[in-house]
Amino acid sequence: MQRPVWSLPLSSAVISKLNRRGYQCTADIEHLTTGVKEEEASEVLDLVDHQRYPVSITALELLQREAELKPIVTFCSELDRALGGGIPLGKTIELCGVPGIGKTQLCLQLAVDVQIPECFGGLGAQCLFIDTEGTFFLERLREMAAAVVRHCSLLTEDQEQQDAMRTFTVEKILSNLFVRCDDSMELLSQISDLPAFLSDHPEVRLIIIDSIAFPFRLHFEDLPLRTRLLLGAAHQLAALATTRNTTVVMTNQMTTRVQGEGSRLIPALGENWGHAANIRLLLQWIDCKRMATIIKSSIFSVSIILSVLLPVHT
Amino acid sequence: MVVLRAHMCPGLELQLVRDLRECVCNAYLCVKALLAIRRVLLAQHTAFPVSGADLYEDLLSSTAILSTGHPRLDELLDSGLYTGELTELSGGPGTGKTQVCFGVAVHIALHLKQGVIFIDTTGGITATRLHQMLQTESSSLEEQIAALQRIHVFQLFDVFSLLDCLCSLRRSGLQPVAVGGACVRAVIIDSVSAVISPLLGTRHTEGMSLMMQVAALLKALVKDFSVAALVTNHVTRSVGGAVRPALGVSWSHLPRTRLLLEGPDRSTHSFSSLRSATLIKSSRQPCHMRVEFDLSWWSRSKEVPSAKRKHS
Repeated sequence: MQRPVWSLPLSSAVISKLNRRGYQCTADIEHLTTGVKEEEASEVLDLVDHQRYPVSITALELLQREAELKPIVTFCSELDRALGGGIPLGKTIELCGVPGIGKTQLCLQLAVDVQIPECFGGLGAQCLFIDTEGTFFLERLREMAAAVVRHCSLLTEDQEQQDAMRTFTVEKILSNLFVRCDDSMELLSQISDLPAFLSDHPEVRLIIIDSIAFPFRLHFEDLPLRTRLLLGAAHQLAALATTRNTTVVMTNQMTTRVQGEGSRLIPALGENWGHAANIRLLLQWIDCKRMATIIKSSIFSVSIILSVLLPVHT
Repeated sequence: MVVLRAHMCPGLELQLVRDLRECVCNAYLCVKALLAIRRVLLAQHTAFPVSGADLYEDLLSSTAILSTGHPRLDELLDSGLYTGELTELSGGPGTGKTQVCFGVAVHIALHLKQGVIFIDTTGGITATRLHQMLQTESSSLEEQIAALQRIHVFQLFDVFSLLDCLCSLRRSGLQPVAVGGACVRAVIIDSVSAVISPLLGTRHTEGMSLMMQVAALLKALVKDFSVAALVTNHVTRSVGGAVRPALGVSWSHLPRTRLLLEGPDRSTHSFSSLRSATLIKSSRQPCHMRVEFDLSWWSRSKEVPSAKRKHS
């Protein structure tokens, strides 16, 4: 069965040129010998080359790779236990919740926790924080950083840990990478730019987008276009997360769905958006207590989907 | 006998007709030789009719039924996934599509000892979870390792890589790993709508053509190599508010069997592991058959007494 030329990732100008010269399927192009020097032609020949077909790995190798990745702790012991040690690397996570429940606080905590040196069980990595709402508070981050540094200094035992503590200071933690995006266009272009950014900054293992809902809920009349753009962006983030073993955390807002007599709160951005993240955490108030529930995940068996109490971080 | 004219078949342009006539004049070919060439060409490109009995014999010898590992789902699918056919699982977020795909992969790799190709387009595959499911089914470490080696994972994130992958599988005859590879019996794609939905709905029709190209390749793959294919799909809401699988009507003709999974009851604050599956398209069972199944089947402990097992 022939694979037609239009199914290759080429521009429509190149495809129409190929069709005009009679090359309808890849089998026609395969047997062309080299000697073609123009850039377009060699690009086409490259695409048809067999060596570029995707390679598979066995589940055993995947398991070995996963065993080497440490999770990012949240310092909330119940949440860490429910998540299997902390937020896993290489996945996309969505935090949904009503305003004031603590989504940004949890993001700030994760931004600090990813920087904990390896000798203390952390990742010793950097974080990119993309703020779209303007709710990033430097003072709160400073308090959290100070608390974590204090916590680690109390645990210091051997020489390696003492050496690490010399560089692990509040100032170092605050020299995070931080970006502010004002509207949906800026956010989308920032997301498209992330692969190049991560190549330049290989230390970054956590990307936080707080929040992904805000730019898309304002001034967006064309809902199908919004869904397409969001799903495309989520897909790019999922590809990035998997190929670079980086975690992407996104926060989402809540909206009301009116059903018959009553109404209830559901995560914003529509039902299709629900498929975007690998793991979804719903933060809600139950009996005046903050509870987190894992409402979607492929990693954890359903029997441990439960509600955990989020303590106030000090 | 007909006279050769332009546009009798695709590709037969006027220039080509003139060239052929010139060629015939110069080559001194007689009519008999031309007729013989025509017969040979027709024989090569015509499909031969096959009798129903031969077809049935063929089907009996080449079709296998692969159990999904979950007894309630097997009930719905008339004992399992049939090779040579495509089965689709659709459902909203959190309804358990990925868990079912993992369960099927684990069952086929461990109990049926056959190879499985798992194409992941969402980044959701976690080998740790596969290992947990294997530990529930078998306590022998060698068996678990052997099963993990039979599952081949491709992680792709765009439709062109998916097309490349399906083409290469077709060319290589489904033998991705030459050494120690068990015969591949199932291809699971989770999820196919994640790569195709962003392309549909725009002014350009490339998205639709790419989707049909994927459909054609999948169909050819399952037929030529007698494998079972399981794909997952998202859902959309129709105008009346009813839930239906995404990707539209054109895609709906591809799968032979379609299941719609529905999520837990969200009206209370607690979340249970019970889900329901409805058969929305099938050529073997009555449509709209519905079963309740428990996702925690794949995490059951071996010490559970038999009375409790009847609940799953």
